[in-house]
Amino acid sequence: MNARVFKPATALLMGFLAQAPVAGQDTDAWAPGRTAWGDPDLQGVYTFSTQTPLERPEGLGNKETYTERELAELEAQAAERRATDEVAAAPGDLGASYNAYWTSNEKGQLVARTSLIVDPANGRLPPLTERTQEIHDERAAELASRQVGEPPFVYTRYATWLDHPAYTRCVARPMPRIGQAYNHGLQILQTPGYVVIYYESMHDTRFIPLDGRPHIDSSIRQWNGDSRGHWEGNTLVVDWRNFTDKQEFRGLGLPQGNMRFVERITKVGQNTIEYEVTVHDPMTWTQPWTFIAPWRADDPNYQTPVDLYEFGCHEGNYRMMENSLNGSRASREANTETE
Amino acid sequence: MRNWLRGSISLAAIGGVVTVLFMTTAPIAAQPQAYRAPRLIGTDNPDLNGIWQALNTANWDIRPHAAGPSPFPDLLGAIGALPAGQGVIEGNEIPYQSWAQDKQRENFENRLTRPSDRPTNEVAGDSEAKCYMPGVPRATYMPFPFQIVQTPGQVFIAYEFASAARIIHMDSEPPSPAPSWMGWSIGRWEGDTLVVEVTDQVDKTWFDRAGNFHSDALRVTERYTPITPNHLRYEALIEDPNVFTRPWTITMPLYRRMEPDVQLLEFKCIEFAEMFMYEHLLEPSSE
Repeated sequence: MNARVFKPATALLMGFLAQAPVAGQDTDAWAPGRTAWGDPDLQGVYTFSTQTPLERPEGLGNKETYTERELAELEAQAAERRATDEVAAAPGDLGASYNAYWTSNEKGQLVARTSLIVDPANGRLPPLTERTQEIHDERAAELASRQVGEPPFVYTRYATWLDHPAYTRCVARPMPRIGQAYNHGLQILQTPGYVVIYYESMHDTRFIPLDGRPHIDSSIRQWNGDSRGHWEGNTLVVDWRNFTDKQEFRGLGLPQGNMRFVERITKVGQNTIEYEVTVHDPMTWTQPWTFIAPWRADDPNYQTPVDLYEFGCHEGNYRMMENSLNGSRASREANTETE
Repeated sequence: MRNWLRGSISLAAIGGVVTVLFMTTAPIAAQPQAYRAPRLIGTDNPDLNGIWQALNTANWDIRPHAAGPSPFPDLLGAIGALPAGQGVIEGNEIPYQSWAQDKQRENFENRLTRPSDRPTNEVAGDSEAKCYMPGVPRATYMPFPFQIVQTPGQVFIAYEFASAARIIHMDSEPPSPAPSWMGWSIGRWEGDTLVVEVTDQVDKTWFDRAGNFHSDALRVTERYTPITPNHLRYEALIEDPNVFTRPWTITMPLYRRMEPDVQLLEFKCIEFAEMFMYEHLLEPSSE
């Protein structure tokens, strides 16, 4: 076939599919394009943000999806919250400092599912193992011991930078990334033999080799682990491991050293990647579990690489650390005087 | 006879100047293009994909320099001492304005100044000690590998040091949204050379540990040219009218990392910099 004839035909087809994103969700009806070297083409700028919670809200039982009417109601409520918050907070209104004025339109859309977790069937995280429950409880108690004040003005004291989570220290973001209120853009690039995922937040790059090489030695532990990929049909399957225990799952005091994630990344429509992750860690959870989150290419804030800003987190963090440590000391001294 | 001789000498001299000028303005074109790199599949461009690393001492000092002791010989012995290097600057000298020469010396003396408050942190010391993103061109010759990701439509570079990264916008010139640590990169192909114009960098990064510096008016024009299957020629034209009297150029080979299964590892150095940056904020007494 003559390439010049073929290209307009492809463009026409793509144009048609772009106009039919709902039909495009159907994996049987839609297939991604191919790179020049024949791999399924996942490339583009996406956001992984979503308003759908990881765990199903209590009380919804085994209800897996919302009806169209329920979904419309929830979206209307979210829009109302945004409208209320979408004015600058009054100076000193600490409760509003991270409101939707800042994260306006940043939280993505709801999917019809009531939770991102699809397995177990109740849509909730499986019970922790005894060992991990202990670690988690110790961490929670330690954190509570540093907190003073009443909601919404709970103040946490920090004796050292190590009392801050890795997130606030700008060291790392929890992996895998599940929703995020701001700077939740990512870009997928592909070259022969690699898929590359670049996360805007923390300017982290994951190189996923596709050549079947073994993982790095288990003695090398990393905040962002070590990824190896292969294709199963149109799905990129990634075996992700070698995390450091310093990395904590969702920042919740669950050390990630034994965690292994199997990611299944599939482009299911012109504007949607289905991001499925199965979590294996018998030391942390009593059974494996799986979530599916959407990565969307139709967020107006994330359309091209120009929309991915440099995330100079640590470079701008000095004042935060100075204020939090000095403030903690002042708070402790004031308390000592009154006691 | 004498006049004729003088005239021909002058002509020869002018000819020499013209040749030199030609070579400085078009160094790549003036080089014989004996090597033709493999093309990236689906494109007419040479394939620069790979893990690359400089092998020189430019991160210590981009100028020619003799060996020297570490900043803490009493603690470290010979470990951490300064390795000698012939420099990476064409002509060996940085054309500083006179005030800037003094500023560079001051930078060097204060290179390990630890932040004691925010203003000090903003202006003093080598940003490498604080694990800040190193900027361009320093990111290229930090003693860490980096990986070029070249797709048919885009180029992206990820650096092992501080997980710094930058997107190179190809074949379009979108305006920079804000000044940044790694700058704003606009790329194009000139024959087999990837040319990248980098602007809008903050003024807090240095060229090296020796305190060689620039202002926020820095403009860097990088040229990446494959010269063998496993080497790139890297050249960076440095322009900054606030600090230098004329443009100047650094150049060096970049070497392909060839170990089996080699990959970028993590050097998330923030956790190694926190004690340096924040120790003075701790309570003086132990609890």
